[in-house]
Amino acid sequence: MTELLTDRMPTLATGAGSTVEFRGLRRTFGATTALDGLDLEIRPGELLALLGPSGCGKTTALRTVAGFERPDAGTVLMDGEDVTRIPAHRRDVGMVFQSYSLFPHLNAVDNIAFGLRMQGTGKSARRARAMELLELVGLPQHAERFPSQLSGGQQQRIALARALALRPKVLLLDEPLSALDAQVRQTLREEIRRLQQQLGITTLFVTHDQEEALSMADRVAVMRSGQMEQCAAPAELYQRPATAFVAEFVGVMSRIPGRLASDGRAVHVLGCSLPVHGELPGSTDFGGGARDVDVLVRPETLGVTAADDGTSRITAATFRGAGTRLTVRLPDGREAVADVPTAAATALGAGTAVTLSLPDCPVLVDRPRGAARPAGSAVQQPVSTTRRPWRRTR
Amino acid sequence: MAGLTMSRPGLGRGVVLLVAGLYFVVPIVCAFAFSVGIGSPGQQVGLDAYTGIGAAEGLADSLALTLKVAAATVALVLGVLVPALLAVRLAAPRLRTAVQAVCLLPLVVPAVALGAGITTLLRWGADRYYGTPLFEGLVALQDPDFPVILVLAFAVMALPLAYSTLDAGLSALDLRVLVEAARSCGSSWPRTLVHVVLPNLRGALLNAAFLTLALVLGEYAVAALLGYQPFAVWTVVISGSEAQMSVAVSIVGLLGTWALLMVIAAAGRTKRLKEAS
Amino acid sequence: MSIPLTVAGSRATLPRPALDSALVPRRRSLRVAAGGWLGVLPLFLFVGVALGLPVATMVIGAFTTPSTSSAEGGLTTANMAATMQDPYLSSLIGSIKLSATAAAIGAAVGLPIAHAIVTSRFRALREAVLAAAGVLANFGGVPLAFAFVATLGNAGVLTNAFHLGDLGWSLYDMRGLTVVYLYFLIPLMVLTLTPALEGLRVQWREAAANNRANTVQYWRHVALPILLPSLLGGFVLLFGTAFSTYATAAAIAGSTVQLVTVQIAAGLSGDVLVGQGNVALALGLDMVLIAAIVMAIYLPLQRRSARWLA
Repeated sequence: MTELLTDRMPTLATGAGSTVEFRGLRRTFGATTALDGLDLEIRPGELLALLGPSGCGKTTALRTVAGFERPDAGTVLMDGEDVTRIPAHRRDVGMVFQSYSLFPHLNAVDNIAFGLRMQGTGKSARRARAMELLELVGLPQHAERFPSQLSGGQQQRIALARALALRPKVLLLDEPLSALDAQVRQTLREEIRRLQQQLGITTLFVTHDQEEALSMADRVAVMRSGQMEQCAAPAELYQRPATAFVAEFVGVMSRIPGRLASDGRAVHVLGCSLPVHGELPGSTDFGGGARDVDVLVRPETLGVTAADDGTSRITAATFRGAGTRLTVRLPDGREAVADVPTAAATALGAGTAVTLSLPDCPVLVDRPRGAARPAGSAVQQPVSTTRRPWRRTR
Repeated sequence: MAGLTMSRPGLGRGVVLLVAGLYFVVPIVCAFAFSVGIGSPGQQVGLDAYTGIGAAEGLADSLALTLKVAAATVALVLGVLVPALLAVRLAAPRLRTAVQAVCLLPLVVPAVALGAGITTLLRWGADRYYGTPLFEGLVALQDPDFPVILVLAFAVMALPLAYSTLDAGLSALDLRVLVEAARSCGSSWPRTLVHVVLPNLRGALLNAAFLTLALVLGEYAVAALLGYQPFAVWTVVISGSEAQMSVAVSIVGLLGTWALLMVIAAAGRTKRLKEAS
Repeated sequence: MSIPLTVAGSRATLPRPALDSALVPRRRSLRVAAGGWLGVLPLFLFVGVALGLPVATMVIGAFTTPSTSSAEGGLTTANMAATMQDPYLSSLIGSIKLSATAAAIGAAVGLPIAHAIVTSRFRALREAVLAAAGVLANFGGVPLAFAFVATLGNAGVLTNAFHLGDLGWSLYDMRGLTVVYLYFLIPLMVLTLTPALEGLRVQWREAAANNRANTVQYWRHVALPILLPSLLGGFVLLFGTAFSTYATAAAIAGSTVQLVTVQIAAGLSGDVLVGQGNVALALGLDMVLIAAIVMAIYLPLQRRSARWLA
């Protein structure tokens, strides 16, 4: 695929992207609530990933845009227009499914041209456009092949081509890479991103794979139990999570016990005093005064040094190529995770007593969680929405 | 088709099922009505047809004959199929298409044609080998108390259905792994087959046996052509004189088959459910 | 012809790796292979004798001059030729017409019924109906005939209640037989179509809607084309089954109805004309040939639909 694809094939550009907005979407299936008041705004031309554990409602949200689910309450707006009542076959969206996306009885060209055929486009015009799209996804030589003769990755590319055939306002992708091999997934991930950027089409992408979401998306919306936890660029999500759930869902987060100063501006942890960068919502419910908190730490920032009088102990050391992941048991019984360069980990085997340290950087604090972490611990903080950013104390 | 909310098909679906239900239930209801005398002018309403079944002339003999033949047929069908299917999966995979072709071959020969062939064969054999020991053998084959010829014919007719059932049952098992595991535990071939393979095939074997039984109970063409009177033939013969009773017998047979089928299906299902949990 | 289906529905075959004979010591592999042949031998012997001999007899008899004529025992095509002339030809045509009509109606009616069952939300209903279909599909022959005679025969319950006889209805002609045949043909179609309909992925429905197809367009351009092999295969299966039916027709109409199966039985028992045994065998051979054509069409269709809908 060349750089100036849309210059070479101007008919492919969809122009300025469309906006999509959810307002107060609610949907229940019997006893389960799939969507619980979802508010979200997708900006023109951006790729927004919906990320979350299974059952969080991300697929339901996507299908609501497509028209396959009708919400019990709330509206879906496209370019400011309310499309909630419009049936699926009259919406201007293109969707790629997780599996079984192609019609088995049609070859690649006919699959792609299907939408055009439903609209009444002539045969030669259909074929021309379908071939154009086949070239876009890099499979012009497979035009006459049937889905059963194509690999999983090829099928999904053709499904993508078909989704783009009618120049939709919005592109919807429902975990399109989940059913593919790791290798194919990687390649296709990059291609989808490249294509999306070149065409400038607003895209909504559902996935449960963090790495996928963080590497592909302009913004990531983390969902839980039908609501939005945080919607932000990947870096911000990682470095400044707005809620405890996001902090622990995205990447690995360890909790080190510390004591917050009475003014709330510094926290005493691991023997030094560090400035507080932010507090997760709900942790100030105690009111003023010094109190115990948990300091949230990413593995790459936690320092580990062997020391005979160390109060923590390494329980496992996992070799991971350039780095080694150490699992450390803290004095209060909880475990923390630290990533250290393998070169520095020669003396750090399982059973070694160690002391931990943190760099002199602002840290994130949260209300303390019990000494031994119960499985599937419930989080007491109120869930934040995009409108409530994380609390900055500086 | 769940995602697209359509309210009208609910109505259409109900209508379709209702009309279909009527078509299938009405004949049975009418048959029952006929057998108790409702709806026929000049007939007394009563359960005579049913109570009289036990005392019907020739029923006991024909039932005995049918059941004897059925048991032998099931034994023959399973005895021939099980070794063949096991051999194909364990020892000679290349024979698979040949075995499949052979087992589905009877589908190409309608019952009447088979009956015609057998009748002619027996007559020709009787003519040609009269007085020789082979003739005695042929006579024994057609012995009215236990006609082996019927067993052979029914077994052939039951073959395709039994084959499909057993094949599906075997496909659901990981036979090779099962056998290798048993053998590596020190079990000999015969013990493996009896104690490991067959118990796992119980559902499929029961199914196949039941379908064969149903076939034998309902089989008319070949038996009639060969001049025997198993159950189905008997009901036709008796219909001339005792119309109501023959209908009553048919209904009892139908309901009995249905009940047996539900029992077997339920047994197979609960077994699977228990294993899955 | 009976249904090549299991009671509980068909299951897909797991892919099997080929026996890697290179790794197995030669002597053991020979013994294993011998065991294989040994296991298969009874089956082959049995079918060879129990099926092969009667069929061979039928073939030979079809080409043999009957014992009543002077040139006894010689080979002739006169019997086969006779099957192509009246009265046998009309019975062949009658059978084909009846089977085709019943199969067409059965297929057309079976599809909406199967669809209604598959899309029903009540699982219990679905299972019960499918079990019932299994019983009804095998419920041919004598009991069915009697039930219908009791319902729609000359002295049947409905005939009397609605005076159908005055309206020109008769159970004992082709139209009446069609109604009876449908009783086991429709369940057979439902059983054949249900796995195919279940194989219709919901994603295809949604993809069609996503590509601007409404319900009618979906059925016309996606669902029916995909189901076509199963529909055709089902039709062919129904045709074959109807064509081979004997007991039902004989129990209802006796030897008066113009069907091949009945003609064969009559010819063998010397009912109609003496010495027509060989022609009856020729007719039997005709039936086998037609059934073979039916299977030759059905099997590839079934494989194709299995490929799309598995």
